[in-house]
Amino acid sequence: MEDETFTDISGKSICLDCQSHSSFCREFTVSSPKVSIGKVMVYTCSVWLLAYAVFFLTQNTAVLSSAILITLVGMMFHIHFVKVDHETLLVIGSLGIQVSSSYASGREITTFIEMSKIKDIVINEAIYMHQIIYYLCVLLKDPSEPSAVSSVVPLFQSSKPRLNCLVKVYKSCQEILSKSQ
Amino acid sequence: MGQRKRVAAVKNPSSQRHSGAPAEATRVSNRKHNICMVSDFFYPNMGGVESHIYQLSQCLIEKGHKVVIATHAYGRRKGVRYLTNGLKVYYLPLQVMYNQSTATTCFHSLPLLRCVFVRERITVVHAHSSFSAMAHDALFHAKTMGLNTVFTDHSLFGFADVSSVLTNKLLTVSLCDTNHIVCVSYTSKENTVLRAALNPEIVSVIPNAVDPTDFTPDPSQRQDDRITIVVISRLVYRKGIDLLGGIIPELCLKHPDLHFLIGGEGPKRIVLEEVREKYQLHDRVRLLGALEHKDVHGVLVQGHIFLNTSLTEAFCMAIVEGASCGLQVVSTRVGGIPEVLPEDLITLCEPTVRSLCAGLETVIARQRSGSVPSPASIHACVQNLYTWRNVAERTEKVYDRVAGEEVLPLDRRLQRLRAHCGPVAGSIFALFAVLDFLFLLLLQWLVPDRIMDAAVDATGPQGLWRRETESKNEAYSKRAMKRAADRETL
Repeated sequence: MEDETFTDISGKSICLDCQSHSSFCREFTVSSPKVSIGKVMVYTCSVWLLAYAVFFLTQNTAVLSSAILITLVGMMFHIHFVKVDHETLLVIGSLGIQVSSSYASGREITTFIEMSKIKDIVINEAIYMHQIIYYLCVLLKDPSEPSAVSSVVPLFQSSKPRLNCLVKVYKSCQEILSKSQ
Repeated sequence: MGQRKRVAAVKNPSSQRHSGAPAEATRVSNRKHNICMVSDFFYPNMGGVESHIYQLSQCLIEKGHKVVIATHAYGRRKGVRYLTNGLKVYYLPLQVMYNQSTATTCFHSLPLLRCVFVRERITVVHAHSSFSAMAHDALFHAKTMGLNTVFTDHSLFGFADVSSVLTNKLLTVSLCDTNHIVCVSYTSKENTVLRAALNPEIVSVIPNAVDPTDFTPDPSQRQDDRITIVVISRLVYRKGIDLLGGIIPELCLKHPDLHFLIGGEGPKRIVLEEVREKYQLHDRVRLLGALEHKDVHGVLVQGHIFLNTSLTEAFCMAIVEGASCGLQVVSTRVGGIPEVLPEDLITLCEPTVRSLCAGLETVIARQRSGSVPSPASIHACVQNLYTWRNVAERTEKVYDRVAGEEVLPLDRRLQRLRAHCGPVAGSIFALFAVLDFLFLLLLQWLVPDRIMDAAVDATGPQGLWRRETESKNEAYSKRAMKRAADRETL
């Protein structure tokens, strides 16, 4: 539908993509920038230089080959488990919310929360590392005890958008939720 | 005595500077401040400082200022919470070292406190209690960040022993470049000025207050076949619990209808338990343990006499609460206590067992003869002496004054530190100030101010809370949810 630039809490620019499939079904995608070649180069070079320094002192070639292995495995580990490419929130009124995050390698983790368990979606504040940030979360309820909040599912956990982006998502989510309840 | 003090307060130039310039005063008093109260002591911890911060904040919010409170995390209570009227409390995860006071390294609290100050757009940092390391840290960082600072001292200190020499030095360092200091009584002001070698001009006296509607007399709760003495304090050495341990057997022996009701918890409880055991007074001395603030009234109204045995006290809230409930007050003559109540409402004694017993005897005799004023008349006397609105008004004047003052830039701050705090401590803390400044620059480079989200105001001129409370149910459910969500914070 529209494309605006937002930043995450550390100042990197991220993309928010809102798609309205119908009046009660919307999809929000927050995508972080791709892994930059420069950063990969810097990490690889520093590991290799370190390895070469150790090799220079010990004259052991195993150090060099293990350095190559470490960089390869490290990079694979990073794109498979750490680096999240984009996170998607799919809100379907009367049905539920689907949250999925896909890693740079293409691996995708998807969870679905059905509407009967959802109490609300709110923006909350939390202390994260040495900062205090806003985040969007889904409040879950136990169907047997509808007035209490049983647990909280934070959304956009790895991209951590700033407040202006969260407010936008929050407002359109509330539109759908208020219609379906 | 209370009246005399009020006159003095009006004459006091430091707290009333604006009265000389009415035009300026009206202009400045319209200004709204963004205030951050910082102290290690806040609810759920109970005590005088905690309720002072809470009540003062509530009255300032009522006057249209924005107030947030920063304290350390208490057990599982961490993150951001909202209290009544949108009072926002940050429970920051800082390590607690001793007696609910955080460890101080001068630096480690800077990132979080900076985050609070920046995102709430704080203009005045108000730190409470000299026992609180976090308060001193906050003052230190606020000055580095160029914010105006106010400090409220709630306690009295000695000068002689090693620990007070050290804390006094620390206080000197911490207060020498603070904009304004507030003390709770004239005794406390004298004490603070001497301890921290301050200019008395920048020290104001604003007493504590009690909520008179919370402490109303209710004589029907009293049992008329006996005389009950109520003691409510933390059971620690400073509160003179050893004296209490001496008084109890002596008086119980003389007066068979005398009962003691003791509320509070602490390390000295064992003293009272021993006395109770030794003299077989289980039916006459009741130890109630820790009391919640809401239960204090229920205990106070059961008594005839309120006893305070403190050895040091800057301003005793408990005796005002006791008098407000219509009790006869007997107290030690220490610190700021003689300033607190008019002479006809309080019996002052020396802090010895003999003097306290004599004082209690006269009050008991008066009670028996029925020559004491009625609880309602005592309450009427006390209820307008100390109100939180008055405290907030006077504090507001301090903020107005402070907001017009400049914060010392780094070079002049270093000069001040070295000139005021002695060559050794001064130089050390000047070095700390420089390091703190460098650390701040590093943080500003890592996380610039502009990428920190400004917090949504709950209170203050653009406060959203009032609008929300209009549809009360909705607001309540929102708050409940928020609270629940807080419990799960990262």
